Amino acid sequence: MRRFWSIVTLLTLVLPVLSRPAPVMAQTGQPGPASPELTLSTSYPSQVIGMDESATLTLKLRTATTPQVVRLEMQEIPEGWAATFKGGGQIIQAATVEPDADASVTLKLEPPKDVAAGTYRFVVVARGDKAVARLPIELTIKEKLPPRLSLQTNLPIVQGSRSTTFRFDSTLKNDGDEDLTVNLEADAPEGFLVKFKLSAQEVTSLPLEANQSKTLSIEVRAFADVPAGDYPLQVRARGDGVQATLPLVVRVTGQPDLKVTAPEGRLSGRAYAGRTASLTIIVQNTGSAPAHAVKLSASPPSGWSVEFDPEQVDQIPAGHQAEVTAKIRPADKAVAGDYMVTVTASPEETIAGSKSDFRITVLTSTLWGVVGIVLIALAVGVVALAVLRFGRR
Amino acid sequence: MALQLERASGGRSREGSPWTGLWAVVAKEMADHLTSARMRILEALIVLTAGGTVYAAMRSLRDSVSEDRFLLLKLFTTAYEPLPAFAGFLVPLIAIALAFDAINGEFSRRTMSRILAQPIYRDGLLLGKFLAGLCTLALVLTAIWSLIVGMGIIGLGIPPSGEEVARSLWFLLASIFYGGIWLALAMVFSIVFRQPATAALASIAVWLFFTVFWDILAGLLAQSLRPVRFGFAQEILAQAQLEMALARISPNTLYTEIMLPLLHPTVRSIGLLLPSQLQGAVLGAPLPLRQSLLLIWPQFTGLIAVPILLFALGYVLFQRQEIRA
Repeated sequence: MRRFWSIVTLLTLVLPVLSRPAPVMAQTGQPGPASPELTLSTSYPSQVIGMDESATLTLKLRTATTPQVVRLEMQEIPEGWAATFKGGGQIIQAATVEPDADASVTLKLEPPKDVAAGTYRFVVVARGDKAVARLPIELTIKEKLPPRLSLQTNLPIVQGSRSTTFRFDSTLKNDGDEDLTVNLEADAPEGFLVKFKLSAQEVTSLPLEANQSKTLSIEVRAFADVPAGDYPLQVRARGDGVQATLPLVVRVTGQPDLKVTAPEGRLSGRAYAGRTASLTIIVQNTGSAPAHAVKLSASPPSGWSVEFDPEQVDQIPAGHQAEVTAKIRPADKAVAGDYMVTVTASPEETIAGSKSDFRITVLTSTLWGVVGIVLIALAVGVVALAVLRFGRR
Repeated sequence: MALQLERASGGRSREGSPWTGLWAVVAKEMADHLTSARMRILEALIVLTAGGTVYAAMRSLRDSVSEDRFLLLKLFTTAYEPLPAFAGFLVPLIAIALAFDAINGEFSRRTMSRILAQPIYRDGLLLGKFLAGLCTLALVLTAIWSLIVGMGIIGLGIPPSGEEVARSLWFLLASIFYGGIWLALAMVFSIVFRQPATAALASIAVWLFFTVFWDILAGLLAQSLRPVRFGFAQEILAQAQLEMALARISPNTLYTEIMLPLLHPTVRSIGLLLPSQLQGAVLGAPLPLRQSLLLIWPQFTGLIAVPILLFALGYVLFQRQEIRA
């Protein structure tokens, strides 16, 4: 008895669970009020296409219960447009739809040649035996983007000395929808040379695909005699009627550049051993900024003395020169011949000064020559004495 | 000039000028020299020396392709040993050959009294003989010099520069004075010795002594007088300086030291050079001729003064000699 009750209890618990799937299966099997007899659908009913393009849509037909032949047609189509249904590689007008299997039909919509930009509405109708299904489609024709170029750089001002290569890393971008051949040109002030480099190679013209960008290195070099200052320059990228302009600034900083030379460029002099000789030295500033506190020094052979008058030149403006007198005194026992004396002029601004080698010809005194002549005269005097003393015989 | 001035002051002690008959003696002696068999031998030596020097120099100069500013001077220096011969032994030999029998030859021919019977003083005779010898020597050396330079220009095809010609001319002058030393020495011996053979032998002995033995002796003397006891640099230096000073007593050393800076313009010093003196020097840069001359001037003074002093010695000896008819 007790066992009977337990079975009943079990059954009352289990039965509702078992009996539950039955109504669900019944619902899918029967056409319910929410499921229409015939459905027509597509994944993307609204599309955006370009001017010369055509749209291709995949339509799906589905029937719930009865297999039937469905006729397809356009209920609404803007003027000039052509619609084509395709299935199995052929142009079709109707399709057979079976339950539980989707029929797939391709619809191709071609715009007329002179179509204007805008949104176009289409309605596809599928007529079955009993049911009719409609599918609204929306196509937006977009006008093409105008070609557009942009040229940009992060650092539009670069500073450096005259010998620097001023480098601007810039990005050239084609914002348009068309491939372009871009010509590069520059408006540089006189005395500057502009080069465009693309991955280390010099270019003046380059192809640029739509919506692509390239990193362009713009190199500016100054010729030797450019004074210090700011130099604006314009870089242009041109292609197919569009252009992008990039204003750049090259800031040339001044630097003194000294040159040690002598009048008429004669870097040589003469000096007697043990006697002071003056040598005129010219210190030229060929740089682009004034040189301050120019100190002069020399590295002569040992035993020599070299003094400068003045020892220090307070200022040499750019493009000017200063005259300095060097007093060179070779060693007392210097052997005749040519010697090198290096003269260095070093301004405050730079660590290493400018050097020049002066060739000093050391001459020896002619004093000993006189002594020799006196000795020979003495010898002649001895002969004369002998003649006087013994000449009578 | 000096002689004339001295004569003017001491004129009362003798009558007549010592120059009387000088040029007659010079002309006569030169004529003798130039027509003698000795001159034939000398002429052969001239051609051989010049030809040999140029041939040897050209052979080595053609091999080298390096450019040289002083190509002409190389003719005198680039040669096979013992060439250039007139630098080494030809000059003394010619000089000795010209003068070893200058005075004693007259005695042995018994012509001395006859000459002095003419209105010619002993002064004039001696100076005339010396000058004639010197002129003959100069003629011979100039002939060799001209031959070398001429053949050199033809062979090299390069005209010499003024500096080269000046340097080689100074070299020629130095060679003549060097010959003058041996000429005066041979003349002194010809006054001292009555036999010409003895005089010639004595002259050659002196020449050999200076050529072969003096350098060895100078080295030995320097080693004994300034020995290197501890090996200090000063000791070594002092010894080297003494050896050099002793070696300069030899006319050969003087002549070699003159030749070196004259024919090698890059030579800066003929003495010892300390490394400190060469600091900063541009080596290989030729000295100007004036500086080269200043460098050799002490040696040159010796080369000029020694013949004059030797002549004075010969003069005194000759004046004191007894000459009998």
